Amino acid sequence: MRPCGIFDEAYTQDMAILRTKQHWAVLVGALVLLYLFPLFGSYYMVSFLNNLFITIIVVLGLQIVSGYCGQISFGQPAFMAVGAYASAILTLKAGLNFWLALPLSGIIAGLFGVIGGAPSLRIKGFYLAIATIAIHFVTIWLIMHLQITGATQGLNPMPPEIFGFALDTDERMYFLILTVTVIMTFGARNMVRSKVGRAFVAIRDNDLAAEVMGMNLYHYKLLAFFISCFYAGIAGSLWGHFFMVVHPEQFTLTHALWYVGMIIIGGMGSIPGVFFGVIFVRVLDEFVLFASPFLSDAFPWLGASPAAALGLSAFGLVLIIFLVFEPRGLAHRWEIFKSSYRLYPFAY
Amino acid sequence: MIQFLQLLVAGLMEGGLYALLAASIVLVYKSTQVASLAHGQILAFGAIFFYLFLGPFGLPLIVAIILTFAASGLMGLVIERTTLRPLIGQPLFASFLVTFAVFMLFDGVFQLFVKGEAVTLPPFLPKGTMYLGTIHVPKGQFWSFLAALILFGLLGLMFRYTKIGLGLRASAEDHQLAQSTGISVKQIFSIIWVLSALVACISGIATASITDIYYTLPQMGIKGLIVALFGGLESLPGALLGGLLLGVLENISAGYLDPLVGGGMKEVAAYVMLLLILLIRPYGLLGLVRIERI
Repeated sequence: MRPCGIFDEAYTQDMAILRTKQHWAVLVGALVLLYLFPLFGSYYMVSFLNNLFITIIVVLGLQIVSGYCGQISFGQPAFMAVGAYASAILTLKAGLNFWLALPLSGIIAGLFGVIGGAPSLRIKGFYLAIATIAIHFVTIWLIMHLQITGATQGLNPMPPEIFGFALDTDERMYFLILTVTVIMTFGARNMVRSKVGRAFVAIRDNDLAAEVMGMNLYHYKLLAFFISCFYAGIAGSLWGHFFMVVHPEQFTLTHALWYVGMIIIGGMGSIPGVFFGVIFVRVLDEFVLFASPFLSDAFPWLGASPAAALGLSAFGLVLIIFLVFEPRGLAHRWEIFKSSYRLYPFAY
Repeated sequence: MIQFLQLLVAGLMEGGLYALLAASIVLVYKSTQVASLAHGQILAFGAIFFYLFLGPFGLPLIVAIILTFAASGLMGLVIERTTLRPLIGQPLFASFLVTFAVFMLFDGVFQLFVKGEAVTLPPFLPKGTMYLGTIHVPKGQFWSFLAALILFGLLGLMFRYTKIGLGLRASAEDHQLAQSTGISVKQIFSIIWVLSALVACISGIATASITDIYYTLPQMGIKGLIVALFGGLESLPGALLGGLLLGVLENISAGYLDPLVGGGMKEVAAYVMLLLILLIRPYGLLGLVRIERI
């Protein structure tokens, strides 16, 4: 919704992501702040942000396949694991450069996702969600029983190097992860307003109607899975090289529930919604982590370290509240807020 | 051959419990069209309640069972009233997701209670082992299995002959038509949640009496969903058949394939089977065939 007196005179203007000088100022300012953050932020905050950005990349992928294309997938951690292992194996065993392994692991995870997304050709909705859970477990089982993935030992990828300069601390890794996140966000934001993105939305809203209009459902559903798993693969690769360990235990079904919950809380079918959802859930989690020692002092029966369990419960509760009271998520609230301040002195 | 029969019998015993959990999911799906993961938690909490009443509180067996039923039924009712009733009229997928949220909410509470250790129920079923020829069957498992079968029979009878059963079947067919014939569909929803919570709770007690209460117990809920899908989401006989088949398949694949691939077949067999069934017969073995193009 445009403020009073502002008119779009050309299609490009109408579709532009950044329409005003203020938009540009905010974007550039935010990017500069983010890139300078390690100068004044604490070590803890930087490592928190690294984690947050990797999650954002994964959830962006999930938003594309679930929020835009309407195929709910609980397989995202499994595809992330494929990316992480692909990158680790490519750098450790094939001796490839990290900068080559990063996109390659995305593509490998994407191709794997096309296989994983194949059931979407036959089933949809709830059935597909359960099928992706099955794919998750089968993938993790394969990882734990193959020789090349180090079975239950896991693998230890090396930190990436650039011109002989190793990105071996959280601060150094931060710049890489931030850059990749910015590129991936830009890519996702652009993709969803392209022909492909509109096709996804059409399939989500009514797949039969979309097919009648001449869209190739198989092609677009598999493409959605490919793109989403490409994102998961890139995030997995970054994850592996950031923590310098990949292990099957890092990719659990609970993570899949968290990711799906994040897009529900943030808002289905909205790229800013990804940011709202991930930040909201992560901050909630940090808050529980911060509060749990006090709770465990006050209520001894909670045990010594109730943080993980309490975090799970808090997340479940928030998710229920959002599903019941605001199923369109924080992104919808944000839209309401934006249109209200643009019209400020008037109600509508 | 002996090994095969042994695995078969063990699988059937285990399958009876899966079938029971699947039955509770099928009950809910039949009347409300919501596939629920929350029953995994009702199962786990049923086991916990039973443990609390029987162990630390030291109540007699029959009182403990009655109190456990009351607590589990209440849990089912509360879940229905607070999370699923507000979602009537929303897309069904939202209801499915809200059962995930309920699962996570209770999972946290469950983890707080179990704290990563195993909780053992006080023994209440007959001890020892029976012998069928050369095949041995633990007595406790046998009685659980028998209880599961009887419960299936009772559920079938209730659906067939009681007035509530008639209401349940009517609202399973069509919510609006059922409402217009004077059946309170909302009340039916509450009844079905309480009933299915009771079934899940019995399945939980039976499971916990065999395997102890671990922190992974709620994940039985996923197994239950798989079995329900396998047998057909609308079909009680399908749940029984699916449960028994899954139990047998798990045990046989674990018995014969584990030495070849190095273990873990038991966990993955169910999922492989699920993927196959979803690709070949998405509506399950005995489920209603939905005529729909995807």
